[in-house]
Amino acid sequence: MREAAPPPEEIDRILSALADPTRRRMVDMLREGPRRAGDLAAAFAISGPAVSRHLRVLRENDLIEESREAGDARARLYSLRAQPFTELQGWLEEVAAFWTVQLGAFKAHAEKKPRRGKRK
Amino acid sequence: MSGKVAVAVRLAVDPAEAFRAFTEDVDLWWQRGIKFRFHPRKNGVMRFEPGEGGRLVEVYDEAAGDIYEVGRILVWQPGERLVFEWRAPNYREGQVTEVELRFQPVEGGTRILLEHRGWETLPGDHPARHGLADVPFLGTMGGWWQEQLAALKERL
Repeated sequence: MREAAPPPEEIDRILSALADPTRRRMVDMLREGPRRAGDLAAAFAISGPAVSRHLRVLRENDLIEESREAGDARARLYSLRAQPFTELQGWLEEVAAFWTVQLGAFKAHAEKKPRRGKRK
Repeated sequence: MSGKVAVAVRLAVDPAEAFRAFTEDVDLWWQRGIKFRFHPRKNGVMRFEPGEGGRLVEVYDEAAGDIYEVGRILVWQPGERLVFEWRAPNYREGQVTEVELRFQPVEGGTRILLEHRGWETLPGDHPARHGLADVPFLGTMGGWWQEQLAALKERL
């Protein structure tokens, strides 16, 4: 694949971080805008430590980032990073491009000598 | 299934011939070079070993056993359907994806629908799976992130 494509490990990381229903719903929620950990905990009816664990996975895999809320140094705000999603999209497009070229070549080949039976 | 890539093409040959040419002539139409073949320095011969349990391979030196196995053939229904595993050399141990082709008869020939899927397969010991062993990995994501991507792309 092209150099522009992100390394496969990068894609793995993104996919694996999203391989959990709670984390996907968190990402859904963050799509609407930044949230505090407390807001997320309230929305999901799971324990504080469980929320922290999910947020940590998302953060460590660079899907979200953490910032301090202005005026309250203790409140942490979480927001979505666009880059991993763009990378995933770009990478899927690479795979599609690979098969588009291949099927195009196959079509040219198959139509060149239709029904000629075996040949080597 | 999540993250599948789908590509379609129409050909002016019937499904049986399309299937035959796709498999039997694979080395003739499969593009050459680093973007398409499996070894950076040597071009081998692409080959489908016919039938379920056969393999898609690139053969460099058969006598010496120098062969790259792309994957096992899972479904072999001439003129209808072909499914095989897909492992690129840079995949990690245990990681495998799947390619499915459907050969559909249409006016004047065949429509081939190709799906490449299963990117979310991960080895059991992947760190992201810790504590999540019971969560069925495949199939849980549905169309979720395709939708996600579409939405984010719009926004960016």
